[in-house]
Parts: sequence; structure tokens; C-alpha cells
Amino acid sequence: MTSAQRAAPWPAIIAAFVFAGMLAAVAAIDNQRLVIALLCVFAVVWMAAMRLGVLARVERSAGQYPHALRGAILLAALAAVALLHEDNFGLLMIATVLLYATCCIGLTIQLGYAGLSNFGAAGFVGTGAYAAAVFNWLPWLPDPLVLVGAGLITVIVGSLLLLPVLRTRGHYAALTTLAFGIMFGVFVDATPVLGGPQGLKLAGITLLGWDFSNDIRVANFVISFYANYVLLALAIFALAIFIASRLDRSWLGIWLDSVRLDETASAVFGVNIGWWKILAFTAGNFLAGLAGATYAQMMGFIAPNNFTLADSLMLVSAVILGGIGNRWGALPATAILVLLPEKLQFIQEYRLLLFAIVVVVILMASPAGLVPRRIRRLEPGVVA
Amino acid sequence: MWRTRPGVAALTGGALAVLALTVLPQGSLAKDTVKIAWIGPLTGALSAHGIGGRNSAELAVKLKNADPAARYNYELVALDDECKPNVGVQVATRAGSDRSIIAAVPHYCSATAIATVEVYNRFKLPMVVWAAVLPEITYGKKLPEIHRVSGTLIGQNKVGAKFMTDLGYKRFVSLCDTTDYGKSMDKYFTQFTLENGGEVIGKFGVPPDQQDLSAELTQIKDLNPEAIFFGGLTPLGTRLRTQMVKFGMDQLMEGQSGIIGDAFINAVGRELAEGVLSFFDSPRVEKSEAGKDFIKKYADAGYKEPYEAYGPFSFAATNLVMDKIEQAGPDRAKVTEALAQVKDYPSAVGPITFDDYGQNITPLTTKFVVQDGKWVPWEDSEYATGKRKLNRQK
Amino acid sequence: MDIVAQHLLNGLMQGTVYGLVAMGFTLFFGVMNIIKFSHGDVLTLGAFGALVAAGLLESAGLGAWPQILAMFAAAVAVTAISGTEIARFFVLPLRHSPTLNILLLTMMLGTIIRECLRLFFPNGGNPQRFPALLPPGGISFGRVFVRYDGIILLAVGIALIAFVQWVITRTRFGLAVRAVAEDEETARTMGMNFTRVVRLTFALGSGTAGVAGVMYGLYYSEINYAMGVLLAVIGFSAAIVGGLGNMWGAIIGGYLFAGLQTIAVAIAPAASEYKTFFAFLVVIMVITWRPTGLLAERRSERV
Repeated sequence: MTSAQRAAPWPAIIAAFVFAGMLAAVAAIDNQRLVIALLCVFAVVWMAAMRLGVLARVERSAGQYPHALRGAILLAALAAVALLHEDNFGLLMIATVLLYATCCIGLTIQLGYAGLSNFGAAGFVGTGAYAAAVFNWLPWLPDPLVLVGAGLITVIVGSLLLLPVLRTRGHYAALTTLAFGIMFGVFVDATPVLGGPQGLKLAGITLLGWDFSNDIRVANFVISFYANYVLLALAIFALAIFIASRLDRSWLGIWLDSVRLDETASAVFGVNIGWWKILAFTAGNFLAGLAGATYAQMMGFIAPNNFTLADSLMLVSAVILGGIGNRWGALPATAILVLLPEKLQFIQEYRLLLFAIVVVVILMASPAGLVPRRIRRLEPGVVA
Repeated sequence: MWRTRPGVAALTGGALAVLALTVLPQGSLAKDTVKIAWIGPLTGALSAHGIGGRNSAELAVKLKNADPAARYNYELVALDDECKPNVGVQVATRAGSDRSIIAAVPHYCSATAIATVEVYNRFKLPMVVWAAVLPEITYGKKLPEIHRVSGTLIGQNKVGAKFMTDLGYKRFVSLCDTTDYGKSMDKYFTQFTLENGGEVIGKFGVPPDQQDLSAELTQIKDLNPEAIFFGGLTPLGTRLRTQMVKFGMDQLMEGQSGIIGDAFINAVGRELAEGVLSFFDSPRVEKSEAGKDFIKKYADAGYKEPYEAYGPFSFAATNLVMDKIEQAGPDRAKVTEALAQVKDYPSAVGPITFDDYGQNITPLTTKFVVQDGKWVPWEDSEYATGKRKLNRQK
Repeated sequence: MDIVAQHLLNGLMQGTVYGLVAMGFTLFFGVMNIIKFSHGDVLTLGAFGALVAAGLLESAGLGAWPQILAMFAAAVAVTAISGTEIARFFVLPLRHSPTLNILLLTMMLGTIIRECLRLFFPNGGNPQRFPALLPPGGISFGRVFVRYDGIILLAVGIALIAFVQWVITRTRFGLAVRAVAEDEETARTMGMNFTRVVRLTFALGSGTAGVAGVMYGLYYSEINYAMGVLLAVIGFSAAIVGGLGNMWGAIIGGYLFAGLQTIAVAIAPAASEYKTFFAFLVVIMVITWRPTGLLAERRSERV
């Protein structure tokens, strides 16, 4: 298989529709036996695709026609929404998957691109969520500003940690973000103004005069109001992918890689390590805050319990599951992490245990994750 | 063989056949099945109360399904809110957005219930709360879907405050959790205690998960009250009782409905639980015909776990919901309308009458004291006759 | 002033527990340059083991002191064995992996232990009543109340710290540990059985955590499946603040953390829920100022 072969656009497009279809199907179906059967089918199809080299063709095609891929994903998502138009909870879950995946992309930028460990990711997501809750008290503030503002506040709070993050290495650096995650939880739990353990309620989003708690009505066709959130989450996810891919496919990405792979060598060659780490950390935090704020307004309620150490570890697990540094890997990994426990009620209780076991197995067997990221090959036509 | 195209095609085809088989209908039932959601803490520190409540609700459904005169077959969908507000919102959203669920019987924990009230309203899912006692759940906003069979904490505190001051206690310290539940407890406790001539010389707010109470207890010891009022749930109450004894504090501990039940006594131990006071908005279940019937049926059903303090309420709420569905049909709006007209509905906890806000206005408060490892109504106890004395009793 | 003294006494117990946990972290790091984050959950496992042991002995009709001894023995055995086996199967094979991987791996192992306790121990999700076997009550010095069980546990803790210090500095085994910590290759060249030293070190470090867990349970009369999480993070911070690999640093770090919490409570008694927040804040500031800890040895990094 020569890497310079020109591929056709359609493998990527079909793959997008198939994936969206799978997601929608799992989200929509209630019957547990059916879901399990469906999952077995998908596992078989996936393995078949691997064996027949279909996945490699999809990757090549996706690499050469990124626009076709994105268009296909957009269309597929709209189709999924139309299919699930009456299923409130299914749409809610799809929106949750997309927002979670956005957080994971933020984490990928920090961890996968710049090599910064972040064990307090849930704290940053929570900062965005609580920022949105506080903005809720200023009803005159339009919602787009609330979302962006929440992202900015997360960046500002994150910047307080910049000095420790930059000055420390390895374990010491891990402690910084870990401690932050715990501090966030303790602080919010203890502060009555932020609701304490009782949490805070939020109003839904209103964009350009359209209240998201209204169902969409087109003639006699009713679409659940959660579809509004799915579309918004899709837009935010697209933004995250855009930021990540712009970062990756630029000289910034090359410098981030260099910092991650060998700091000392990079410093010797004049790369300013501090700036690039700051860039990655900030970008990741912005995405986390943005996703957190949207999630908070969609659910209408947040409490300190939403953002615990276990949640930070789940986010890191998702990044590892999807392949460290693979920004698209976040989506299937998140889909598994979020949808499966909801749909298969009997594993709901064992969810954390099962994922911990999976991560341990992956780390022992293949430390770079399930779909390891290939270091950039700069020939045309290959996914970099 | 599986690597070749025909092999893979065969495998995929086989998988699709499996898929098709599972979709085949599983036979039909004579009556339509109606789903009711029941929500409570099935895991976590409050699980004893949750499991007792769920068993009681299941019992009600089982009895109804065995009744040939029932129009519908009922299915209880038990959901776990873990006594956490955010999890409560998630499961309430799940129940609300599932159109096959006609009504809900939710929540033991007040902190969880107050967070989910708007969710039921948003999805127009009628519900009858079985345990949470925070007044704002029904009285905060006038929402047609919200009802409650248990009382509010106002009644217990009114009776409690008068009782304590009648016994001669004057100096109190209030230690409550920092959720809306604890804050409301503190508010009404203070209000009624002051009305009755007592003094509240210190107030402490503690997050429900806090493990170490040394800081608070050190300060309370310094203030030297006669009694400590506890406004919170069993886990925190357990810690308060165990740790205050370790600090050599001999104040009387008085609680409220949050610590009523076997869970508190089991956690603290018979010796330490002795002489703890509490107040509970419930009639004497073992004295009424309907109550005795519930106790007998629960025992006959063979559940390992006790039905706990609010089991009878869960049983009553589930029966009420099912009867309204029988009356109005499996339609959320019609059931909501029917629940607005509940007057003197006979149940295991006495006649239920909802006021304009959906609140049951009949529960009376019973005073309880722990004696020999059991919660005993005050009138029946040896403390009332003077044979035993409470801590710091005059 | 009295009330401050009372807060101080309360903090002393906490500091000993933190110090014991931090010692484990530092021992593991010294010997293998890794952080074993499952340490906290191993502690919880030990505490649950102690609970089971006490229950067995109680139903056999034995009194308070045999039960206490059995609890400590059970906890030390459970933690030492699980700590060592985790090292053998998961950490030793991967010790040359990047830092992050081991951190994450051990965190996940800890999660597995925690979830197994929650799911498979009867009523694991609820707080467990730890038998109150130590004499209740205490003595009052004016307005300061000193709990009997507090004194006993403090004595046990300090004795254990002294014992571990003695082992590390005065025995041949301790010499071997220090040699391996200094330079693995040279130690092996000198004929030391690296694997054996590592396994014994893990046993020692985990065993101290087991004792800490029982102390915690006896003090609060309660244990729950998640108690190890915060203890691990605090122990880790304490070890880091004191300088990883430095035993005295770990102990000082533990008391420092408890001291910070005490200061927060003493200054603002009404806002005592912030004490952990305040302590972590200071910890972050300390490692920003001294990125390798307060008492760190100078180390060289291979480029």
C-alpha cells in the first residue's frame, strides 16, 4: 500500500454516515437486549473493516478530503437529529457525548500535543460551568457572551496555575493540576454563594432570540428541544476540532511536538518552551470551560458532585482510549464512555470499575493508546 | 477463512440475523402495561432508606398487579438518585423524557428533590414525593405536577421546639448541613425555639460529606449548651453522635426525621444511640388498620431489608398514583388533573388530602426517643414516666 | 488561646496520619523513582481488612485489646501483601515508562480497588462502623480536652515513624534501600538483589499505610470506601513538599499540611470548611517557589 496513492472521497463520507448511524441507533433504542445485539454487530463490522483494510482506506480518504469529511459529518448529524426527533433523552445523550468529546480534545491539546499532564480537568470544566451559573444572575447578558465569557474565565483561573505548571516537571507538575481539581471541589462545596453542596440552577440557552427550551415545529413535524443543544454542541465540537487541527498542522504544532518529545533538546535549539506550554494549556482550558458552560445550561443544574476526581480520571481515560494525540479518537471513546452505561443499565453501577480495568489493560499493553498517533510524515496524502 | 471477503460477509450476515431475532416480539399481554418511575437513594450512605422505600413501592405494585379488578398492569421503574442533587436531575430528566413513564414517586433526600422540581414541570410528569420534607418543594413554586404525601419540616420543628422548652431546656446550639434542607431546618428550629423562649447560642453549617467535626465540636464544647439540635441526614448525624461522645460532651442530641430509622441506631450502636430525641411527621403506623395491613404484607413478601421510616409513605404514594391512573387513564395531563382533587384518600399513613400546592396537610408529629436500640414514641417510653433521664434533663 | 490549643491537638493526629502515608510515597519514590498512587486505596483495603478481623474476633468473644492487635496485624498484612503484589505485577515491569503512564496506571489500579470494595463488600457504599475499642473520654486541662484515644494513637504513630527511621538508617536492609535509591545500577553491580529490596520496601511502605488506616478508623469510628482518595492526594503533596525521596521531608510535609489546616481553622472558625483548600493553596505556592520540594536533595537529570 503506497502512501502516495490518491484516494477517493467516498470512503470517508460513508464512514461518517455509518458512525453517526451507529451513534443514533444506540442512543435511540431502549431495549437492552437489542442494544447488546447491536453492539455485537458493530464490533463484528469494525473487525471486518480492519481485516479488509477498509479502515486504512477511510483514513487515507479522510486525510486527503478533510472538507468532504466534515461536510459528511454535518449532514450525518442532521440526519441523526431528524431520526431521533422525538427522543428527548437520546438527543440529550448525543449532545453530552459531543460536549464531553470537546473537553477531551482540550485535554488532547494539553496532553497529546504539549505533553502537559492535567489530572484536574474536571475542575476546569466545572469552572466554566459555574461561571455560566454566575452569569445567569445577570439576565441581560446575551448567551453567546456567557459561553465565551465562561471559557475566558476558565482561561483566567487556569492562568493562576501557569507559574507552578511551568516551573515543575513530572510528578511535581502532576500534583499541581491534581491539587487544583480537589481545591475546586472543596471551594465550591464550601461557598454558600456558589450553592454549596446544594448546587445551582441555570436557565436554558437563548440564542438570537430563539429560546432553546422550545421544541422545533416545522408543519406537523415536532423536534424535541434537545435538538437545539445537539446542534450547538456540534458547532462547539467543530470549533474544537478546528482549533486542534489548525494547531496541529502548523508550525505551532511542530514546536508543541518538539516540546513534548524532548524539552531540553528543544531549549537548546531556541524553542521557547514556556510560550508553547502556555498556549496549549490555555487552549485546552478554554475548550473545557466552553463545554462545561454549555453542559451546565443544557442540564439546567450543576453541583460540586458533577466535577470530582473520578470525572477528571474519566476524561483522561477517554483521551487514552481514543489514542493520545488523536483528536478524532475522542469521539468514539466518549461515545463508549457516556452512552454505554446509560444504555446498559446493568453495567451502570460497574461503570467506573470497568473503565479503570480497560485503561489499565491498555496502559500495560499499548502505552500510547488504542490508536496511536503517528508522528508527522510530511509526504502528501497522508494523515499527519 | 474469516479474512476472505465471503467469510466476512457471512459473519456480518450472521450478526444481522442475530439482530433480527432479538427484535422479534416476545408475546403479548392481556392488559396494557403502564410504567411508573420510583426514585430514591439505592446506593450510597442513605441506601437503607432508599431500599426500604423501593421495596414498599414494589409491594404496592405487586399487590395491584395481583388484583383482577385493575384495568392496567403496572411496572415500577426504580431509579437511583444516590441522594445527590446532580444525579437526581439526571434521573429525573431521564424519567421525564421517557414518554412511556406516566407518573413518578420520587426522592427521599430534600436536597435532591428541590433540585429536580423544575424538571418534572418541564416534562409535565406528575409526581408524588414520598419522603423529602423541605417545605419549598411544594410551597416554593405553585407547579401543578408536584405533590407530596409526607409532611413538611415545619410541623416537626414547631412541635419539637415547644416540647424541648416544656422539658426545661433553654440553651441550644444548632448544627445543620449546608444544603437547602439543613438551612431550612435551622431556620424553622430557630424561629420556633425563640418563640417558645429558648436561646440559640450558636449555629454551625457543615457540608454533608464532612468527615471530621473536631473544629465544630471544639467550639460547641466551649459554648456549653444544654442540647444540640441536628438538622441533617443519618450519615452526618452518626458522625456527630460518635464524635461528640469522644470529646466527652454530655449534651442532649435532638434530631428530626432525617435520623429516624434503623440506619441511625445501627450505625451509632445501641449504647450511644440511647436517649437521642427526634421528631417525625407520621401517624403511628402500627396503630391503624391500613398501617397494620401494610406491615403484615411487607413481612409476608419476605424482604430482607426493613421498610425504614418512610416505607409506609412510599407504599401510600405508589398506591395513590396507581389509583389515579386507574381513574383517569395512562395520560400525564389527565393524571395531573386527577391528583389535584385528592381529598381524604385512605392510605397506610392515614387520610391524604392535598392542598392547593399539592401538599398533604394531614400528617401529625410524633415525638420519638431511642430506648434499648429502638425508636420508641415518647408517650410509651420510660423517659416520659421519669424512670430514665435524658442527658442534661432538669 | 485555649481553643487554639484544642485545634492544635486535633491537628496533631491528622498530621501523624498524613506523615505515615507520605512516608510510603517517599519510600516508593526513593527506591524506584515512581509514584504509586494506589497507596491511598491500599490503605483503605487494609482498614477494611482490619474491620473484618475485628468482626471475626468479636464473634469469637475476644475482648478489646486482642481485637485491636488483630486489627493492626490484619491491616499491615493486607496492605503489605497488596502493595508488594501491585509493585511486582504492574509497577516493576513498567518502571521505565514515562512518568505519566505510571501515575495514571496506579491511579486506575487504586480506582479498581476502591470500586471493588464499594461493589463487593457487603454494603460497601455505606460508611462502615469501626468498633470503638479504645477507651473513650479523656482529661481536661482547663478548657482543653485531650482524648485518651488521641494520646494512644499519637504514641503509636510516632513510635512507628521512629521505627521506620531506625530501619532505614541503622539496619543493613535500610542500607540496601538507600543504596538502591541512590543508584540502581551500582547497587546491582555490588551484588544487591534489586527485586527483593524493592519488594521489601514496598511491603514496609504499604504496611505503614495500613497502620495509618487503622488509626484513622479508631479515631473517627468510621471508615468508608473513598477515604483513601483524599489521604493519597494529601500524602502525595506532603511527600512532594518535603522533597520526594527524603524521609524527614515526608514527615515534616505531613505535619505541615495538618498545621496549615489547623491555622485555617484557628483563624476563621466559621469558615473551617476551607481548611483543605487553604492548605493545598499553600502547597502549590511552596512547590512553585521550590519546584523540587523543601528538603530536596540535588538531583541530576540525564539529558
